[in-house]
Amino acid sequence: MKSKNNGKDFCIFALPGLFCFIAVVVIPFVYGVYLTMTDWNGVSAVKNFVGLKNFGGVMKDAQFWISLLLTFKYVIFVVVIVNVMAFGIAYLLTRGMKGQNFFRAGFFTPNLIGGIVLGYIWQFVFSRVFVNIGESTGWTAFEVSWLSDPSKAFAALVLVSVWQLSGYMILIYVAGFMGLSEDVMEAASIDGASGWRKMRSIVMPLMMSSVTICLFLTLSRAFMVYDVNLSLTAGAPYGTTEMAAMHVYEKAFTSRQFGVGQAEALILFIIVACISGIQVYLTKKKEVEA
Amino acid sequence: MRKNVLRGISLGLALVLAPAMLTGCRFGFASDPDDPNEEVKEEPIDTSVDTFEYDSALSGTNITLLNSKAEIQVALEKMGEEFEKKSGVHVEVMPVTDDSPYTKVVSLYNSGNPPTMSILDTTDVIALAEEKAADLSEEDWTEEAEGYLTEVNGKVYSLPLCIEGRGMIYNKTVIEDALGEEFDPDSITTLENFTALLDRLVDAGIEKPVSMAKEDWSLGAHHLQFVYETYDGTSEGAQEVIKQIKDGTMDLHSYDRMQEFLDMFDVLKEYNVAKGDPLGADYDEMAIDLADGKTAFWFNGNWAWPNLSEAGAENEDAYGFLPYFMNNDEDDFANRQIQGSPSKQVMLDGQIASEKEQAAAKEFLNWIVYSEIGQQMMVKTCNLIPPFQNNPYEPSDPLSRDIYEKVHEGRAFNASAIVPNDHWAVLGAAMQKYLAGRSDREELITSIQEYWDEQE
Repeated sequence: MKSKNNGKDFCIFALPGLFCFIAVVVIPFVYGVYLTMTDWNGVSAVKNFVGLKNFGGVMKDAQFWISLLLTFKYVIFVVVIVNVMAFGIAYLLTRGMKGQNFFRAGFFTPNLIGGIVLGYIWQFVFSRVFVNIGESTGWTAFEVSWLSDPSKAFAALVLVSVWQLSGYMILIYVAGFMGLSEDVMEAASIDGASGWRKMRSIVMPLMMSSVTICLFLTLSRAFMVYDVNLSLTAGAPYGTTEMAAMHVYEKAFTSRQFGVGQAEALILFIIVACISGIQVYLTKKKEVEA
Repeated sequence: MRKNVLRGISLGLALVLAPAMLTGCRFGFASDPDDPNEEVKEEPIDTSVDTFEYDSALSGTNITLLNSKAEIQVALEKMGEEFEKKSGVHVEVMPVTDDSPYTKVVSLYNSGNPPTMSILDTTDVIALAEEKAADLSEEDWTEEAEGYLTEVNGKVYSLPLCIEGRGMIYNKTVIEDALGEEFDPDSITTLENFTALLDRLVDAGIEKPVSMAKEDWSLGAHHLQFVYETYDGTSEGAQEVIKQIKDGTMDLHSYDRMQEFLDMFDVLKEYNVAKGDPLGADYDEMAIDLADGKTAFWFNGNWAWPNLSEAGAENEDAYGFLPYFMNNDEDDFANRQIQGSPSKQVMLDGQIASEKEQAAAKEFLNWIVYSEIGQQMMVKTCNLIPPFQNNPYEPSDPLSRDIYEKVHEGRAFNASAIVPNDHWAVLGAAMQKYLAGRSDREELITSIQEYWDEQE
């Protein structure tokens, strides 16, 4: 009975999804890999096969490696700050304080604003509001726009990304905290665990599944950052805040080197896939059942 | 509980969005063409006379026009409507919104649905011409646009839509009020004169009389390309000097125009109103500063008029252009003439468009050039400076009028350098670094040389 229906069930339930997946993920991906081995400029009808020449071009593109390094720096800052902050805030917001639902909603809202809009809002804040505050109070930190100094512009990018991403992570951590079993907590208390000990030995292991998800989400989103990068700094000042994804786009469309840009995108993909894979593997190992 | 969460969310949303809405109007683009609140003062078009011959066989054809010149989007739609009334051909005007024009047109080609006509920059046309465009060499209007045509291997693939010029925009009233005397722009013919004038303005109370944009397209394209374009003041000359830089026969370090350009740039840098934080300069504020008289000069082109007009400048005000002074030689054309050349080109698809669509598109192009209505709409509705000799209408805003007059009096040089597509972005960054005082001449020139060495 079961085996008789298998083919039909597969067709009804899996085929449509499979078709979509193949059409919008697998085929473009394979085609993209193929493009890295051609000299296509985006327009011409003929695509000449050039082998691995484009990867040689990637090696020579010093700016790509600089922006990749910058992306790593950015990812480290964003992932650490977002997760520590979100975990802390979620902890506070699940202790039954007054108005915690309001705060949860408030922290989440930045995440509802699209990256482009958010970038423009913050651009206005950094280059106009802060400068005005600096002018009227004489605070040197705000005298010139943060966006015109390489290291401050980078800090601005991290700040805005943290502001945007934390809300989402708070939500996941809040769900994690709410799912903690009261029985286990009570048992821990009766056994004499309190404060830091309880956090380290009971709460943390039980929260690992939330940590896995949050780390994965922040890692991949931070690596692929483009919208905030584009609208907040657009690589300014003088190209010092250009992240990897933006560099790939510029290479392909502004410099019109599709092959090299595509090869760089592929390298970026492999790096992100490896790092997130390792992360998921490591944190999953630490997950426990209550 | 659930109700509470919802209420919380909506309250939070309202709190976050409220300031966003309040500030919304302030960080938008000054010349947003889509802004429905913007009142456009428009000159009436006289449609009573129309001697243009329409081909009735084309009536009912649908063609598309990709527009990369955002400020004339509404005007082009009006032109399309007018043309449809007369000819029966429907012209759909598609704006390029968030992509670069080239990216947009390429993606449309790759999806098999390219626009019949596209308004593109000259470099883009050259990149696409032989692969995609229809040959327009035999069109009648080529004779009217003598000197302004772009040829690819001896063939014309595009119609030059307008002439645009750039230089130092001055606000005559501000200068005269400050100095208390008549200001004759023609009396400034050398960099020394110009610097002396700036000094006098500083003494008269305008502390920093110059605005310059920090945007990479302004620095990398509009400033830096003077190095190539002033070689001998022609597009061929610009190509020649680029060729020499590329193949190494010209050393940029010892090229006199390179040093002269930086002499002028240094003067602008010194008198820059945003000298304290040149990379924090705000484009919209520059228009306001010039119109209000906080500054007297702004390096820009005639496309800046919508911004100035929004900042309060009127068509009757006295604005105009000074050249980009390169040295102290009065007889150097670069100190006498401003740069003015065709900038946007209309390319016709020759690959996918049917013969009937191509014929309709050609009729539209002829209509722009030859019909009384099309001629008027080019100048009055779109506010363009047409490169066609047979168009009798004169532009009405002071910046375009100044360019128009200088072109007709032979006081403008028609040179536009054809540079790779990423020139403005890559070298714009190098120029920003120099503007911010974080690199010296040596480093800047070396990075320009390196850029050209990398090109094939």
